[in-house]
Amino acid sequence: MVQARKAKRNSLNKRTFGMVAVTCVLTFTALLILLPFYNCIVISFESPQAYMLHPVSLYPVEFSLKNYSYLLEKGQIGIGYVNTIFITVTGTVYGMLISVMTAYAFSRRRFPGKKALFMLMMFTMFFSGGMVPMYLQLKGMRLIDTLWGVILPLGVSTYNIIILKSGFEQTPIELEEAAKIDGANDLVIFVRIMLPLQGALLATFTLFTAVAYWNEWFWSMLLINTGSKMTLQTVLRAIICEAAVDSDINSGDAATEVFSQGVKMAAVIMTMLPIMCFYPFLQKYFVKGVSVGAVKM
Amino acid sequence: MNGERQLSASGVTGIWRRLGREIWDARFIYLLLLPGILYFAIFHYGPMSGLMLAFKKFNARLGIWGSEWIGLKNFERIFATPAALSAIRNTFEINISRLIFQFPVPIFLALLLNEMRGTRLKRVYQTVYTFPHFLSWIVVSSVLLDFMSNGGAVNTVLVALGGNRVNFLSDTSLFRPILYFTHNWKEMGWNAIIYMAAIAGIDPSLYEAATVDGATKAKQVWHITLPGIKQTIITLFILEVGRTMNAGFEQIFYMQNAAVKPVSEILDTYIYTITFQSTPSYGFSTAVGMFKAVINLAMLVIANRVVKSLNGSGMFG
Repeated sequence: MVQARKAKRNSLNKRTFGMVAVTCVLTFTALLILLPFYNCIVISFESPQAYMLHPVSLYPVEFSLKNYSYLLEKGQIGIGYVNTIFITVTGTVYGMLISVMTAYAFSRRRFPGKKALFMLMMFTMFFSGGMVPMYLQLKGMRLIDTLWGVILPLGVSTYNIIILKSGFEQTPIELEEAAKIDGANDLVIFVRIMLPLQGALLATFTLFTAVAYWNEWFWSMLLINTGSKMTLQTVLRAIICEAAVDSDINSGDAATEVFSQGVKMAAVIMTMLPIMCFYPFLQKYFVKGVSVGAVKM
Repeated sequence: MNGERQLSASGVTGIWRRLGREIWDARFIYLLLLPGILYFAIFHYGPMSGLMLAFKKFNARLGIWGSEWIGLKNFERIFATPAALSAIRNTFEINISRLIFQFPVPIFLALLLNEMRGTRLKRVYQTVYTFPHFLSWIVVSSVLLDFMSNGGAVNTVLVALGGNRVNFLSDTSLFRPILYFTHNWKEMGWNAIIYMAAIAGIDPSLYEAATVDGATKAKQVWHITLPGIKQTIITLFILEVGRTMNAGFEQIFYMQNAAVKPVSEILDTYIYTITFQSTPSYGFSTAVGMFKAVINLAMLVIANRVVKSLNGSGMFG
C-alpha cells in the first residue's frame, strides 16, 4: 500500500519534472524568436546619437521618432504602401474568384474532360517553365513595368484549389437537389448555398492569398522599373541596400551609417506592421487552413 | 451487310450526340472553369512551352518560336561551365542538409507542444512560433542579420560574457548553418501545425489503454504518436525531396554576400545572376532552369516509388 503510493508519487514527480523541462525548452524557443524583433523595435525608436553610444540596449535610451519621420519624409514608403495595398486587394479578389470557381467546378458531378483537366492542373504543382520563360511570357504580354504583371501570375494556388474542392465535395448532394426542385438555378445554388457553407475555409484562403501578395517581392523587383510603381517590399529592399551602400562609402562618417541602421529598422517595422497588428486575431483562421489541409492529405 | 454498316455509323453519331448532350448539360461547369483554364494555360503552360528555348539559340528579333534550334548545345554548356557545376553541387548539398537539419525540427516541436495541450500557454507559444512564417524573407533576414551583425546584440552579449566576436555573416563555414537555423526560426512553428493536426486526429483511447498498461510517455510517443502521424511525415518528406533543386532562392538571395558566394550560390541565384545581371543568354538560362525542373520531377517520382515499395503506400496512394 505504502509502496504503491510511493510509486505513484514518484511517477507524478517525474511527470511534473517532464512538464517543467518541456516548458523551459518551449519558452527558450519563444524568446529566441521574440528577441530579434524586440531588438529591431528598440533600435527603430532610438535616437541616432544614442544608438552610436549604445548600439545594443534593452530599451531606447533616448526615445525618438526621428527614424520614422525621416522615413516618411523620403516618401517612398508611402508609395510602397499604396501600391502594395492595391496589388493585395485586387490580387486577392482575382485569385479567390478563379480558385473558388475552379474548385467548385471540379467538386460537382462528372463532365467530359474532368479527369484530364484536373491532372493538367495537378501537374503544375510539380513542374514549371521556370524564371526565364515566365519572364518572356510576361514580356510578350506587355506586362513589364506594370503592377498587373505582378498581380496576374500570383494568387491562384493549385494546393488551395484542391483543399477547397474537397470542402465543396463534403456538402451533401441532396442539398443541391432540394434547391433545384425549389427552382434555384446553378448560379443561385453556387453563390447562395455552396459558398456560405464554406465560409471559414474561404476566409482562410483569402488571408493566405492576401499575405502572399503583401510579401511578394521577386516579380515586382524584376518587372517594375518606375519608382512610382514600387511595392512596399521593393522599397524596403532599396532602403536596406542603400543603408549598406551608405555605410560602405561613408565609413569615416559614422553618423550616416548609424542613422541608416535606425531608418532600416523603422522600415522593417513599417513593412510588417499590418501583419503584426492583425496576426494574433486572425491566427485561428490560418491554423484552421493548415489543419484542414492535413486532414485532407 | 449494308444494314450493319449503317448501324455502326449511327452508333458512332450516337456517341457524339451523347457527348454533345453531356457537354451541353455541364455548360455551367465549363463556364466556371473558363477563367481557371485561361489562368493555367497562360501562366503555367505558356511558360512551359517556352522551355523549347532550352534547345534554341534565342534571337530577340525572331522570338521564341522563330529562333534557331541548336539541339542539346545549351545543356552541354552547363556541364562545361564551372560556375554552373558549382551551383549544382551547392544546391544538392544545401538541400540534403536541409532534409537533415530542418525536416525533423517541426516534428519535435509538435511533440513538445502537444504536451502542453489544453493550456493557455500553448496558444501563446503557437502564436509566437507561427508569426515569422507570415513575414517576407526581406523582413526576416533584416531582423536576424542585424541581430547577428558585428556590432549586434549577439556579439555584444558574447563579448560581455568574455568571448570573442564572431563574424557570423561573412564566414563561409558559418553561412550554411545560419541558413538552416534561420529557416527553422521562420518556418518550424508553421510546419509544426500540420503535425499537431495529425496528432489531434489520433484516437485518444489508444493513449488511455497505454497508460493503464503502464507505458511511459516516451513509449507512448514512440508506439502511438509517431506511427499515428507516419503518413503525414511521409507525404511531407516526398514533397520536400521533390524540391531537391530548389534550395530556397529568396532566403539565400537576401542572406548571401560576396564573401560567402562560393558556398551560397545555388541554381536559382545562378540563373538570376546570368539572366538579369549580365548579357543574358536566354537559351542557356532556360536550359539551366529546365535541368533543375526535370531533376525535381524525377526526384519526386523516385521518392514516391521508394516509399511505396517500403511502406505499401506513397503520397499518390
